[in-house]
Amino acid sequence: MPLLDVRNLTKDFGGLRANDAISFALDKDELLGVIGPNGAGKTTLFNCIAGLHPVTAGQIIFDGEDITRLPAYEVARRGLARTFQVYVASGDLCVLENVMVGAFMRTRERAQARRRAEDILERLNLRELAGAMLSELPVAAQKRVTMATALGTSPKMLLLDEVAAGLNPGEIEEVLAIIRSVHRDMGITVMLIEHVMELVMNISDRVIVLDYGRKIADGHPRQIADDPKVIKAYLGERYVREHSGEVT
Amino acid sequence: MEALKNAFDFSDFPRSDLIIAILVGAAFLIFPLFPHSAFAIATMIQFFIFSLYGMGWNTIGGYGGQVDLGKAQYVGIGAYTTAVMLIRWDIPFWFSMPVGVLFSVSWSFIIGYPLFRLKGHYFAIATIATSLVLKDLFEVWDFVGAARGLEISPIKYAPPDFLRLIFREDVYYYYVIFAFFLLGILYMNWFRKSRLGFQLRAIKDNESVAQSLGINVHWAKIKTYAIATAFVSVVGSFHACYIKNIEPEDTMSLNLSILIALMAMLGGAGSLWGPIIGAGVLIPLKSYLKEWLGASAGLVGIDLIIYAAIIMVISAAEPRGIWGLVEKIRRRRSR
Repeated sequence: MPLLDVRNLTKDFGGLRANDAISFALDKDELLGVIGPNGAGKTTLFNCIAGLHPVTAGQIIFDGEDITRLPAYEVARRGLARTFQVYVASGDLCVLENVMVGAFMRTRERAQARRRAEDILERLNLRELAGAMLSELPVAAQKRVTMATALGTSPKMLLLDEVAAGLNPGEIEEVLAIIRSVHRDMGITVMLIEHVMELVMNISDRVIVLDYGRKIADGHPRQIADDPKVIKAYLGERYVREHSGEVT
Repeated sequence: MEALKNAFDFSDFPRSDLIIAILVGAAFLIFPLFPHSAFAIATMIQFFIFSLYGMGWNTIGGYGGQVDLGKAQYVGIGAYTTAVMLIRWDIPFWFSMPVGVLFSVSWSFIIGYPLFRLKGHYFAIATIATSLVLKDLFEVWDFVGAARGLEISPIKYAPPDFLRLIFREDVYYYYVIFAFFLLGILYMNWFRKSRLGFQLRAIKDNESVAQSLGINVHWAKIKTYAIATAFVSVVGSFHACYIKNIEPEDTMSLNLSILIALMAMLGGAGSLWGPIIGAGVLIPLKSYLKEWLGASAGLVGIDLIIYAAIIMVISAAEPRGIWGLVEKIRRRRSR
């Protein structure tokens, strides 16, 4: 039985169909990448799965339970955590406290939440930043904190929304290592949206590609990279026609 | 046990703060022993009352970021419950006060449930509206004395009456409200470190993120609103016994609601000491301004102009109030 099973997920915003009958399944311990050009519906897909948007049609099964109509906090409590692409914090909470908010989902005890938060900061190499305010940190560290906060909830599965966007190659390398460690060492199933192709291709067991709200490809990263439909979606029809010999 | 330990644990504040707090607390404790004017002690009691209102407001308004401009309705419910029960059935303060809290909290759930579907300014406006509607109802409700209000006549009792909280000298009221004030600080010290406290700060930061961390945002706000309400209601009950003459116009007015929010914001919304500092600045200012300038110089309403100016300065210069300023300076120094 897959851990996450998305069936014919459709989401309309007024007249715009942001997700059009998307279906895919994700096994436990898998690492799935989701790519697609801007506006392809990747973040909408995440928001639907996480319960932030009510879906128009379709079904989402997580860990054997239908979570389609559950509010976001119920989805989170069932073990599906997520990060946010744009995280604007007004700066009331320091890094440790941010992660503690996540940890408080599983406990009422402050001491326990604190231990859990410190443990995660340690794993993500954020220990020295525990007392810093989120707004004072560089982007790379902020992204790691959002991951740490999500991990604070002790999830079964983690949805990562563009955690590598805006990072330099060295920082991407670091994020890559963290995602691997979350996936392998902590045994958490990961689904990630990414613009940085290199990262997705490098790390994913499987990749699905969205374009104009539809799923246009699903498979091993190697297959995906060679798929003409994917190339067309990313580079445009004209480019493919003009360079039809060169792109392989 | 853990909760009690957290309530008494102030160790995350710098030592200098704690020394100042203890010195100020000690000064409060011995203040009535020294010669003082009746006016001064009345001002001190007002300071404690408004500190407590501010602490209550600070839970939902400060930590939770939900600007609530309708706290006066709960002052009214608390005050009226205590006054009605005492006058009609001779029920003492210590029994009527919890009943008042029960009424207030029930009312807060009834209006909190729909109100928290609203966000930002819409929420603030809706809190004003509910408060004013309740005030209008009380003004025509004969059972509670309508617009004339109620009067507790001290002649009927034998002061000092600790059960009914009827005293002839202000010094008794002073120590009763001072005790509530200390309890309020302990409660707030626990609250800010509790799970709910953390959840509220996350809600203030970003509601979508809070949701995705398993927080039922709507319910967390309603719960906190009830806590804020309980604070205000208790003090409202005290206010009835202390002032002995309550009318809708002064216990439930929009002025009072705004003043409560303003004090917490001036001192520093979302901080433990903020509401106390705010009340410490504004209450003496309000009392003495009225005394010196108001009626005698024909400058009625000058206090309102000053509040307006303060609101503008806070929102433009330092949204986190005086305490925010202190923290800013500290952080700059530590670099």
